[in-house]
Amino acid sequence: MAMQLDDAYYKLLHDLQAVDFVLVELNLYLDTHPQDTAALQQFNQYAQLRKRIAEQYEANYGPLMGFGHSMSRSPWQWKESPWPWQV
Amino acid sequence: MNDQYRYYEPFVSRYDPCPPMKVKYYNVPPQLFISFQPPNWPQFQPHEALRLGTLWPPLYSPYPPPSEPREAGDA
Repeated sequence: MAMQLDDAYYKLLHDLQAVDFVLVELNLYLDTHPQDTAALQQFNQYAQLRKRIAEQYEANYGPLMGFGHSMSRSPWQWKESPWPWQV
Repeated sequence: MNDQYRYYEPFVSRYDPCPPMKVKYYNVPPQLFISFQPPNWPQFQPHEALRLGTLWPPLYSPYPPPSEPREAGDA
């Protein structure tokens, strides 16, 4: 049975991508600017935001990551579509 | 306006077997001119950053190159 994806799904995933990208950028920046406390604070703030978005996504649509990095309800959700290339 | 592409006119041989490319260009991205990124630069909003490929406007490099070739020296 295929799951129907609503607009909220795409909004949540898009938000997650955007926040992840900010984290990548700040991560690379902090590698060369480890003393920049403002950037560090922003990084931690976005890390928390990412955690909140990921939790909301996983509560609604299933695990984002495998091998124990995300929890699953019963029955096992990892194998359920949509798979990343179907979205 | 975009000064991140530079244009030149290569030599065209009369025996060139292919239709000549009269104007060629190469990319000069802004990071070439920034030795060390200063702190507290302005930032794009997260969604905009995701689309543009950088969090900081001074590092934004448009892609792909302009579709209409311009005259050499114009840029």
